[in-house]
Amino acid sequence: MASTSQDTVSSKTQENDDLEPGACPESILNPADTFEEFASEMSSSLQERNVLCTKSSTISEIQSEIAESIAEIKMRATKSSDDLQSKDESMSASASSSNLLEQDGDETDDEKDNYLQSPELVNKEKHVFILSSAGKPIYSRYGNEDKLAGLCGVIQALVSVVEEQNQDILRSITTKDCKAVFLVKGPLILVAVSKSNESETQLVLQLTYAFNQIVSVLTLTQLNRIFEQRRNYDLRRLLSGAERLIDHLLIFMEKDPAFLLGAVRCLPLPEKARENITNAITSTCNKIRDLVFAIMIAGNQLITLVRMKKYTLHPSDIHLLFNLVRSSESFKTAESWTPICLPKFDATGFLHGHVSYISEDCQACLLLLTVQRDAFFPLSQAKHTIADKMRRSNCLIAINEALNRNENLPTTNPLKHIAIPEIRHFMYKCKSTAQLFTSDPISLDRLQDYRLRHKEGGDICVKKIEKLSDIDYVRNYREFVSKIHCTSTPAKLIFRSNSNDTVLAWVTNGFELYVTFDPLMEKDQAIKAVDRLLRWIKNEEQRIFIMNAPTF
Amino acid sequence: MIDVKSRISSFFIFNSNFGPKEGEELKRILFFHPSQPGPDARKMQVGLCEAVVKFMSTFSSEPCEALQTQTKRYIFYQPEKGYWMVLVVRIPYTTKALSAIGESKGEVIEPSVMHDLLVSSYKMFRMFRGPFKDISCSEIYDTCEQFFTPYISSRNLTNDISDIIQGINYLPLDKNSFFKVMCFIDLLEINYPDFKCVSFVFNDQLIWNSLSKDDMLTLYQYLVQTLLPKEVEKEIQGGAVTAAQRLGRFISPPEGIQIKEDLERLAKLHLMREDDSETREYYLIVYRTLSATVCFTVDVNTNLQLEAFKSLDAFIGPQLSNIASAINEQCTIHALQTAQLATSEHKFMYFNRLNLAFKTSPPINKLHPSMAIKPEVLSIISEIHEGRKSLGNYGEVIIKTPDEYWITGKSSNEREFYVIIQEKNANLKEIADEVKRICEAQMKGIFFYPM
Repeated sequence: MASTSQDTVSSKTQENDDLEPGACPESILNPADTFEEFASEMSSSLQERNVLCTKSSTISEIQSEIAESIAEIKMRATKSSDDLQSKDESMSASASSSNLLEQDGDETDDEKDNYLQSPELVNKEKHVFILSSAGKPIYSRYGNEDKLAGLCGVIQALVSVVEEQNQDILRSITTKDCKAVFLVKGPLILVAVSKSNESETQLVLQLTYAFNQIVSVLTLTQLNRIFEQRRNYDLRRLLSGAERLIDHLLIFMEKDPAFLLGAVRCLPLPEKARENITNAITSTCNKIRDLVFAIMIAGNQLITLVRMKKYTLHPSDIHLLFNLVRSSESFKTAESWTPICLPKFDATGFLHGHVSYISEDCQACLLLLTVQRDAFFPLSQAKHTIADKMRRSNCLIAINEALNRNENLPTTNPLKHIAIPEIRHFMYKCKSTAQLFTSDPISLDRLQDYRLRHKEGGDICVKKIEKLSDIDYVRNYREFVSKIHCTSTPAKLIFRSNSNDTVLAWVTNGFELYVTFDPLMEKDQAIKAVDRLLRWIKNEEQRIFIMNAPTF
Repeated sequence: MIDVKSRISSFFIFNSNFGPKEGEELKRILFFHPSQPGPDARKMQVGLCEAVVKFMSTFSSEPCEALQTQTKRYIFYQPEKGYWMVLVVRIPYTTKALSAIGESKGEVIEPSVMHDLLVSSYKMFRMFRGPFKDISCSEIYDTCEQFFTPYISSRNLTNDISDIIQGINYLPLDKNSFFKVMCFIDLLEINYPDFKCVSFVFNDQLIWNSLSKDDMLTLYQYLVQTLLPKEVEKEIQGGAVTAAQRLGRFISPPEGIQIKEDLERLAKLHLMREDDSETREYYLIVYRTLSATVCFTVDVNTNLQLEAFKSLDAFIGPQLSNIASAINEQCTIHALQTAQLATSEHKFMYFNRLNLAFKTSPPINKLHPSMAIKPEVLSIISEIHEGRKSLGNYGEVIIKTPDEYWITGKSSNEREFYVIIQEKNANLKEIADEVKRICEAQMKGIFFYPM
């Protein structure tokens, strides 16, 4: 061991140059730090926020570059603006923007109180409410939105009183055991009421995701236009189906550390297999001119991503794609052609996606995203060619082995393979490529299991924990992640040791690492263990990370 | 030093039951600071807080603690059912435009420090005026005004570690000196059965107390933050010689006790003495000789005689002056010893929840502001202190900041110990060893696990 265990956890700068597992010169993902981005969001003043500017459209940029005079994308907007005209004004807005005390009027209040105390709503760990800025309910994680009109009126009134009378922005309200976090995004108000250990920042991030999920279905342009035309519009009519996406996204965010770290998890594959898959895609697709991204995913993990030069994807857009694929059973049975808006890539317009599973015997899903509205048939053909090429080069077997967590793979049970008994769990994020690896990759069937378990409740239950699951470890990391990324008092390193466990959180210029050890671990032992762990990740980096950034 | 006054946007107390009908909103506001905002602005602020409290009550059975907006933080405290005290603090924030030109964020006051300020202001109020609910509707507005306006404007925070945790500074004494103090108190209580000695303070350090821990903290804070600084100032102005010549005097009431009318100026306290089962009212009498201060309580139903006070003065004066000189000698020796010990530039802090004992490294020298602890570091310590439950019965946490500060927090049962070390190129092990050395040198015999 060339570098002594000393400088591993001490002098970061030299160490980074030697050992930064997973780093590569070019990244398929845009590693822009979600936290920093969020911090700038938090510090925007009221005036700045109200000018929710939509940047110039990347999609139209691509289109003009391709220089094929395609008629401008006409999105579903045409259809939905018809919807807009339709009558149905069953619910008058309960919004009164000026008088809060009036809002507290008795009937609304009683009704609200009673419903919130009903079994379907009481004792939930985390509520999420989305409403229009006029106070009309759009989404509630639990219960029926219609019955929550009173509550939404109160939320709307709180937000607008702080804005209009105090020239300020409402951020959060806390009690000892509960946090309510508010986010105003364009024409929507998003609120999370949580009794979990997530920080305010983490909750706002989740609300931002929920907002992006809505944008992904509608585009920001359409969303803004709808409410410009009719402030009172009942958005639920346009979002039918998207509720399920938000439901799943919320569960997904609570379980998967990818959201916590703003990174993407890759399916561990032998270098050769991944190369073959990428080649199968590039060789097939290089003639299709307006293809922007070809993305292959399996079980919420990225297999490969081939992109048009100059364009990268943000991890949060990939998370939305993961969520879309995971939540839609219909993709399994047939090839689909669907409009998808990727909010970070271009919130103003739709990409068109050809989505399909590679084959019946392989759970890998291929997404081909284009700016062409009528490219279904050429893309469908391309998909079949890719699938054939992959089968011939044995890639399907490699994917299946990884998905089924074949015992012989070093990445199936990393802790056993690393052989440091004191390490109970770890997660690692390579910052330059925004990819992560954890000691216990979540397998497909297990995620399914979480969903089932979740259906039963989402209730708060105090259970005696016998053995921690990986999700419990991730839960424990939340507060460390939030301290490390705290905007006012960030930390480089946190070592916490008590009678339950010892946790080390360490961030350098190149990576973030979170490790759980046995209780009351000695510091020098921990330093040595981390050193060995980093070396193991470095050894396996070709397998567990995507180390290149292929283009068409 | 953080100027609290400039940071406090407003401070108010309300009870929604005081003006339940529409149009009576102003009656709900028991106190409002500052006095500038007109009735509409007050109503609006209180209305917002009422709505927030109500909103949260639908989700949580715990009372509302804080409301955070972009520029302000509202801290809520409900000391008695229905009575809400709210402190509104401006938080410095940068807009995108400001941060682009590198404008700094400015100092942040820890939310927990502000919460403590609220709690201690209420406790002080309750000790001197009694609980809110016992004060009649017609008097409560004036009572609050008379108490809180001077209280708020007199408070300041030094931005030192001592602000994060509210504790009591005890004076360690050798057996003989402590025995002398005890004998003095016993003798006094036997000779003057109406007078009960509740605390013995030397400079700003506590030697003896007979109150419960909560009441003691409040009385201690009253003495060292309000009463004694004024007295010391008077002594300095009056010249050291005259002060030394006089054997001792009553300092509460402020003019001393010379004539019968002075007895009517005695402060009243609401507290629970050792044998009490409920809070009762007592007169507070404070006597001071040299650096020693003794507090007595007398039941308000006692028939006070000027003669008794005269004789008490004659009794305490010479004795207390002897004891004070003896203690002073000891302190000088002790100070010499610690001066040699305290060569380490690392700052530390110790706190024991059971007796509120609090000890820190020598306080920052006002002449060297560079020695002051950075607010970021204070804020991390305050977070560790707030989140000490995560350390369990015993545990430790070491945090390294981007500017090479290492902050260590240890917790063992009810004891906490913090060390701040600024060291480039150190590693975890070296820091842990250094903390262990400091702990052994400063906290001899106090056990922390893990070592």
